Amino acid sequence: MTFNFAVVFKFQDALLLGLLTTLKLTLICIVLGCALGFFLALARTSKSAILRGVSSIYVEFFRGTPVLVQLFWVFFCLPLVLGVELSNLASGVIALTLYMGAITSETFRASLKSVGQEQLDACVALGLSPWARTMNVVLPQAVLRAAPTLLSNCVSLFKESALVSAVGMADLMFVGQNISNNTARPVEVLTVVALIYFVIAFPLTRAVTVIEHRILKRLAV
Amino acid sequence: MSYTFDFASVFRNMAPLWDGLLVTIQLTIAANVIGLTLGFVLALLVMSRWRAIRLPVTLFIEFFRCTPAIIQIVWFFYCVPMLFNVFLGSVTMGIMALGLNLAAFNAEAYRASIQAVPREQLDAGVALGLTPFQRVLYIILPTAVRNSVPVLLTNGIGTFQQSALVAIVAVQDLMYQGKTLATLTYRPIETFTIVALVYFAVSFPVSQIVGYLERRREVLAS
Amino acid sequence: MSDTAPLIKIEGLHKSYGGVVQVLQGLDIEMTAGDRVVIIGPSGGGKSTLLRVLMGLEQIDRGSITFGGNPYISAKSGKTAIDAKVRRSIGMVFQHYTLFPHLDVIGNLILAPTKVRGEKKADARERAMALLTRFGLAQKANAYPAQLSGGQKQRVAIARALMLDPKLMLFDEVTSALDPELVAEVEQVILQLAHQQMPMVIVTHDMWFARNIASRVIFCAGGVVVEDGPPEQVLGSPKEERTREFIERVFHIKH
Repeated sequence: MTFNFAVVFKFQDALLLGLLTTLKLTLICIVLGCALGFFLALARTSKSAILRGVSSIYVEFFRGTPVLVQLFWVFFCLPLVLGVELSNLASGVIALTLYMGAITSETFRASLKSVGQEQLDACVALGLSPWARTMNVVLPQAVLRAAPTLLSNCVSLFKESALVSAVGMADLMFVGQNISNNTARPVEVLTVVALIYFVIAFPLTRAVTVIEHRILKRLAV
Repeated sequence: MSYTFDFASVFRNMAPLWDGLLVTIQLTIAANVIGLTLGFVLALLVMSRWRAIRLPVTLFIEFFRCTPAIIQIVWFFYCVPMLFNVFLGSVTMGIMALGLNLAAFNAEAYRASIQAVPREQLDAGVALGLTPFQRVLYIILPTAVRNSVPVLLTNGIGTFQQSALVAIVAVQDLMYQGKTLATLTYRPIETFTIVALVYFAVSFPVSQIVGYLERRREVLAS
Repeated sequence: MSDTAPLIKIEGLHKSYGGVVQVLQGLDIEMTAGDRVVIIGPSGGGKSTLLRVLMGLEQIDRGSITFGGNPYISAKSGKTAIDAKVRRSIGMVFQHYTLFPHLDVIGNLILAPTKVRGEKKADARERAMALLTRFGLAQKANAYPAQLSGGQKQRVAIARALMLDPKLMLFDEVTSALDPELVAEVEQVILQLAHQQMPMVIVTHDMWFARNIASRVIFCAGGVVVEDGPPEQVLGSPKEERTREFIERVFHIKH
């Protein structure tokens, strides 16, 4: 068979629009998801058994079910439960934020745990207040240690965001599939779409390795 | 909320869900067989001395790791038949797509644990007069495989969850049957909740086992 | 404060872990501002625990501690009351440095003065640089802890504690984690402080250093003070049988 990649370039505007939707969705959910994840991590290490229980069930449930099922639930069931119509973007943001919150909470939890008792003893010996201890010692170290994993979480979210195409949101994947169906040129179109995802995700995964190496070197005491 | 729950109408139609779960499990097991074996071969190739082998294999692995699984599956279903003029049946296609994806992730897990075998272990092997082949067979492999078990399990159960994606290309797995049932019964909440719980019921024990293995290793290491 | 008035007065100190493992079983120690106390004794004898209690890092079961005549730590109905203001006049250096890895050397030094006392950053930096120069670490001011040797890290840790102008310094096995060739540079800094009449309590396994720096040696075993006196007596001709056995074991000599 012959390839005709020119077909793809005819649709570059549509693909670009799809990519922008993908990026917008990903960025919104990164911000909201990281915030949710941080508070979930605090809840999972809290003294209250209720907070711990509820947050653990939440995290385990979202890590233990397919994102596609979560997405279907939010798109088709949540409006019924709430009794309000949700826009496609709102549904996408809710679903992926809930997912991102679950995976980043594990990242934050591990990094909070990595700030050892000795560091806390040193804070006491230096007379630091609990607030100064949290803001100047625990938080910066936890964020530094979490950074590489958080970045991989972001890459995962970027990839998972393609699932919203299955519920009719016009992201890069959705646009690509539409063009592929209309032109009957799946090989060219889908390959280019895959390459676009790859070109964004791959450098980020390399960056994870570099950052991880640097941070570990910095924090190795 | 004005919605009245009616789980009964879903429970009356559980048979298709059950069939779907069997397909999902079939997909998962077969993909894991491919992932565990091909992944190991890829890991060895990616550490090859020759650039001509290393480069294409690295590209293959990274491509699967850095693109959405859904596009890999869609690509497989629409493009492979066109490119090679074959269609092997939807479940087989699903298995191959999921298996290749898992192989890429497992290759990375194998590679990381092979390279994590401490240098002193190999020095000890040299000191004991083992040949290079014996060092790989008796020192590197047992340690590396044991160390990679938690990640391989996590990846394997990840494929169980990813397998829901084949519903998009109309493979009749648990997710697909759930979608159909939700439309037939007009009971999306009940149906998708049950589907989610079924996935969870399989994933959760495995993730608990992984957690147990990792805690035990931490204890052993300290 | 005169040299003979007690700086620290420990009375009837009891401490256990979980009410089961008795670590300190009724300690009474008085220390003046002119004292440089070295605590020696077998592992698990309560030396490090005593230091951690003095720093206000541990709960106690019974007893009380005063500092400069003021109440500092006391146990009342199962709770440990620690006067935070008194605690701020005590500095401590740990075995494993415990520098903050995300801050450079200067950042480690000025964190507490700026946060605890609200000192201006520029002033704190100036004092920090003076201290670092004194300890031969001026070039390392902008290095991160991971870029320093163990000996340098420990000297930074000492400088960090001194930034708060402590009236008492506690050293908990500060050379135990160091390579042998790095021990001297840390000991020299501590000797420097000794010459400036800094009151200190030192826990160490290094008997030669103990003899060199101590004005007083306390032998602790089984959670009580077994022997207490000038270094030449406790290390040279101990009165107690248990002290003698311990000294013989660590020096590998017979008296």
